[in-house]
Amino acid sequence: MAAIEISSVTKRFGTYAAVNDVSLSVPEGSIYGFIGPNGSGKTTTIRMIMNILLPDAGDVTVFGRHSSSSARDDVGYLPEERGLYKRMPVRRLLRYYGQLKGKSVKDLDPVINTWLERFQLTPWGDKKIEALSKGMAQKVQFISAIVSKPKLLILDEPFSGLDPVNADALKDAVLDLRRQGTTIVFSTHDMLAAERLCDRIFMIFKGQKVLDGTLDEIQSNYGHDTVRVKVSGGHAALAGFTEIESINDYGNHQDLRLVGDPQAFLLKLAQKTAVQHFELTKPSLHDIFVRIAQPTAEDMKPPVPGAHS
Amino acid sequence: MNRIFIVAQSEFLTLVKTKAFLIGLLLMPVITAGAIGFQVYAQKHSDRDDHKFVVIDHSGVLYAPLAEAASAFNVKNGTGKERTGPNFIADSAPSATPDDAYRVTLSEQIKQKTLFAFVEIPADVVDPNVETPPAISYYTETPSYDRLPDWLSQTLNEEITKRRFNTAGVDQTLVKKLSTRAKINTMGLLAKNTDGSVKQAEKVDEIATFVAPFAVLFIMFLSVMSTAPQLLNAVIEEKMSRISEVLVASVSPFELLMGKLFGVTAVAVLLALVYFLGAGYYAIYAGRTELVQPALMGWFVIFLVCCVLMFGSMFLAIGSACSDIKDAQSMMQPVMMLMMVGYIGSFAVLRAPESNLAMGLSFFPTSAPFIMMLRMAMQPTPPLWQPALSLAITLVTTVAFVWAASRIFRVGVLMQGKGATFAEMIRWIRAS
Repeated sequence: MAAIEISSVTKRFGTYAAVNDVSLSVPEGSIYGFIGPNGSGKTTTIRMIMNILLPDAGDVTVFGRHSSSSARDDVGYLPEERGLYKRMPVRRLLRYYGQLKGKSVKDLDPVINTWLERFQLTPWGDKKIEALSKGMAQKVQFISAIVSKPKLLILDEPFSGLDPVNADALKDAVLDLRRQGTTIVFSTHDMLAAERLCDRIFMIFKGQKVLDGTLDEIQSNYGHDTVRVKVSGGHAALAGFTEIESINDYGNHQDLRLVGDPQAFLLKLAQKTAVQHFELTKPSLHDIFVRIAQPTAEDMKPPVPGAHS
Repeated sequence: MNRIFIVAQSEFLTLVKTKAFLIGLLLMPVITAGAIGFQVYAQKHSDRDDHKFVVIDHSGVLYAPLAEAASAFNVKNGTGKERTGPNFIADSAPSATPDDAYRVTLSEQIKQKTLFAFVEIPADVVDPNVETPPAISYYTETPSYDRLPDWLSQTLNEEITKRRFNTAGVDQTLVKKLSTRAKINTMGLLAKNTDGSVKQAEKVDEIATFVAPFAVLFIMFLSVMSTAPQLLNAVIEEKMSRISEVLVASVSPFELLMGKLFGVTAVAVLLALVYFLGAGYYAIYAGRTELVQPALMGWFVIFLVCCVLMFGSMFLAIGSACSDIKDAQSMMQPVMMLMMVGYIGSFAVLRAPESNLAMGLSFFPTSAPFIMMLRMAMQPTPPLWQPALSLAITLVTTVAFVWAASRIFRVGVLMQGKGATFAEMIRWIRAS
């Protein structure tokens, strides 16, 4: 059974379709990455999964159940920013969030203690949230999403604004939870994190599903048309080749997208300059994202209220 | 239901466990007592200056007794540190026929603060044959200070009447004796005891008539005022910090709304009980056991619960529809006004508990809890159908407000960005 089954779902705000005829199936025990530019419908999709919003058309089920509070109890949620009572002590807040998911204080306390210990927050248990640093608060936020031991965990931008040490601590925690069988959905703008962590990736753009599959599948679809080169003269030496469709300049090397045969291009290139490195690669998720979401005039419009992403 | 209880419990603890709540709870009576104490103290101690005034006496006979009365007044107010009031120091005008130049000189002196005021007494003020006696003029730079002119009017008029009686050949002591006023005692009603004997009426007392009913109303007002509006800030804080999103992912908006409402209602009831216990203890301590009425308490709690739910749901609805405190402040004005209607109306109702205004306010939903409670604590107790009808109206309105608020809350709590207008809120209520 799929953890989440979204079939032909549409959600409109006024006349604006924030999510338009999207279908998606998230298998149990997987890590699914949701990517997409701001305002493209990620949060709306997530909110429908969590039964905060109801779709105008189509169907969303979580663990085979429709929007019921029992399904909601199996879902943990980490919002993009904040989401904590500033003046509540850490332990009381964690208990409250856990109780709201239908757990008893007796069951919650051992879990809370374990996680506070793991994130080295035990001494802060009785401090108010406002006394915590941003990194600590974000870890408390993470614990609040998992105290109820949800079968499905939804993380909205979990790593943004974290220093590398805290980000690693959180990534390890996410992977541990997956090993224990938790299904994880997370939305991110961090393409490297998505490439490394996710089993499958879903991209939504202007309310429509544009990508859905494993990283390999997605990359294959976008072809092996990317070439990484390092040449004497750098970027300047690449001028004037009609085969080059676009150049992504990294300074020490350049990623090129080609039209035509790479071998013929290598020959021409070698005649013009000294080639130190020539590698056929798959396009990175970053490149694929940028290729899909090139800004158009449409994107310059102000966002529609309520369709916040 | 269980989730509603968990939300309510958390709301209750959040409100009660703050230092502000405890301080407010304890400080309220202290502040009230302090304010009264300060007024009494200020009245006794603030006005201890010498007030020098000049008397231009055209009658020629009034200055001497006035100066004498002033000395007696000053002695009565004590001297030095023990002095409890002002001293009035009278001085007579040097010439019996002063001109305007002299009046100007006196005015200048008042401006320079060497003199406080001057009085001009017309000649025929003591003449018993004058139909309308001419007015005495009191010149001052400080017209708001009324103790001196009041004292002058009192003292001079006593003296003037005495003289008029004398001139007319009437014995003043006899007049005084004959014109003693008869007092009116306000009594309650007589009743027949079970054995047929008559139970005599009792003298009405101020505390039972005015103080106790007003205290009931005030405790109602205070309990609602110090709890319901807090919901507005709480919701806005939750919205701004995206807590609402987390909460709504765990409980339905309706459960959240009801939990919050029940949480503050519990706080309001707690507050009212604490104040009533205090007041009741004081009443028993003062030997006024009859002022403690348990049946009235029952009505009070029911009306209080309705009142907090009604206003609380309005504040929740507004809070959920606004995106920041600034937005909310202007939108909460009308709700505050509705809340004040009952309180302000109470002063008129206290004087005329059976007037049309009192009836109207007793059955107008948002003022009913206040005014009906006030009237029930007063004499005559309204017939039972009145509180029953008033409660029925309040209950129906409460349910309607909570329902409407839940419709607004459901949409508003997840809205980010621009706040909603009242028109939009009405659309949300009507939307399916």
